[in-house]
Amino acid sequence: MRKTSNNNIVISVNNVSKTFKIYSDKPSTLKERLVFWNNNKTEYHEVLKNINLDIKKGETVALIGTNGSGKSTLLKLMTKIIYPTKGSIKTVGKLTSLLELGAGFHPDFTGRENIYFNASIFGLTAKEIDDRINDIIGFSELGNFIDSPVRTYSSGMYMRLAFSVAINVDAEILLIDEILAVGDQHFQDKCFAKLEELKNSEKTIVIVSHSLDSVKKLCNRAIWIHDEKIRMDGNVDKVVDEYLKVCG
Amino acid sequence: MIDTLNNLYAYRQLLKSNVRKEIRGKYKGSFLGVLWSFVNPLLQVLVYAIVFPFILKGGQEHYVTFLIIGILPWTFFTTVILQGTTTVLQNGGIIKKVYFPREILPISVAVSGLINFLISCLIIFIFLIFSGIGFSWYMVFLPMVVLAQFLLLLGIILITSAINVYIRDAEYIINFLVNMLFYATPILYSPNLFPAKIAQILNLNPMAVIINSYRDILFYQSMPRLLSLFVVIVGSIILLFLGLKIFKKMQKGFAEEL
Repeated sequence: MRKTSNNNIVISVNNVSKTFKIYSDKPSTLKERLVFWNNNKTEYHEVLKNINLDIKKGETVALIGTNGSGKSTLLKLMTKIIYPTKGSIKTVGKLTSLLELGAGFHPDFTGRENIYFNASIFGLTAKEIDDRINDIIGFSELGNFIDSPVRTYSSGMYMRLAFSVAINVDAEILLIDEILAVGDQHFQDKCFAKLEELKNSEKTIVIVSHSLDSVKKLCNRAIWIHDEKIRMDGNVDKVVDEYLKVCG
Repeated sequence: MIDTLNNLYAYRQLLKSNVRKEIRGKYKGSFLGVLWSFVNPLLQVLVYAIVFPFILKGGQEHYVTFLIIGILPWTFFTTVILQGTTTVLQNGGIIKKVYFPREILPISVAVSGLINFLISCLIIFIFLIFSGIGFSWYMVFLPMVVLAQFLLLLGIILITSAINVYIRDAEYIINFLVNMLFYATPILYSPNLFPAKIAQILNLNPMAVIINSYRDILFYQSMPRLLSLFVVIVGSIILLFLGLKIFKKMQKGFAEEL
């Protein structure tokens, strides 16, 4: 019985603490390291402290909290961009993170070439990209611009292309950091609809966001992080209301 | 180790497109494009071919061909070492934003260097034909030498690229060392120039063994010194494993240090 319930957990965070070093002046050259070796005022800043949480398959979870409360750090820990100081994090299945759109776009390459490059960063093979390329181009609504170099794009077009790639990767776990505000109203609605669709197809989604209205619409669970710890975890409406009472 | 390899295999498409980006993106916008990676060493050969015969009296037969067989592998060595050392630092932007096996970065520098070198081997072959030296069956040993050089390079840059994130001086120190090594490696001269004892010391340098092997195979058309070559290959494989281990350990801090 216990085993089956464990099988459903796709992200499990066990006793995780994360401490950042804060250098008053970070020594990055050899000279600085030698000259200031005993004069190193390193301070430590604990961002997360003994976090425990499990996220089950198919859940749509929002991480909320004030600026600097450690939401994004937790998200980065889940994607393995940074590693915990203590504790461990396990994830099951293919994971895609949208921390920043268009990471790794090369300005001189065309939109199409950048789709291949960007999708391969997310770990897709050539065949998988071939299968999706029409969906991606269609979703981006870039039309003929897809074969122009990306440097000629407007910032909106750039974002649309980047979002289209990321959303079509088809990962089982999707981690999103405050990027729901992409493009014009029409495109935003489309992104939202796509996220709804992913949510209904048993994908696990974790979102960091300050736009509480969209969070309420999209998510079914919210985790409020406050002062390095989980302050509240549960139904999205309850948590958001409580959060607004205290911090709003 | 198996995990690392599996993970790299899953991201093979990234390796492919990254290599393409290294080769094509580097010269994008310039008039000659990718040709620059061959024009540069050829111009270098031209300079040495004009200057050095005056210094080295007695002279070497077919000196230009002799030089090219030394300089093209050396260009492979320096471009990979110098680009490889800075590659993690230069890709800091993506490293902070997306997860992917970081080993891809140094590996794609080494692979794109290898592809460039293999293409530039055409130049060597053209010179071999026109100088009348021609080809011999000893060329079957050529892949072994190329492999030795590739493994050696990959092992080195896995370590230097990771160190350079933490100590930015590494780049300049390595730049200096590579410049020094140029003179300690028999590229402009033949190791026969020295008494046997000194030649032996020179042979402690793995690049000397590699360049000598290229020369033995292509220029002198004789058996390369298989034992020395074998030692270099085994040493490079050990270095490669060590490099993967060190890189794996150090990469955990990349996103925070960059």
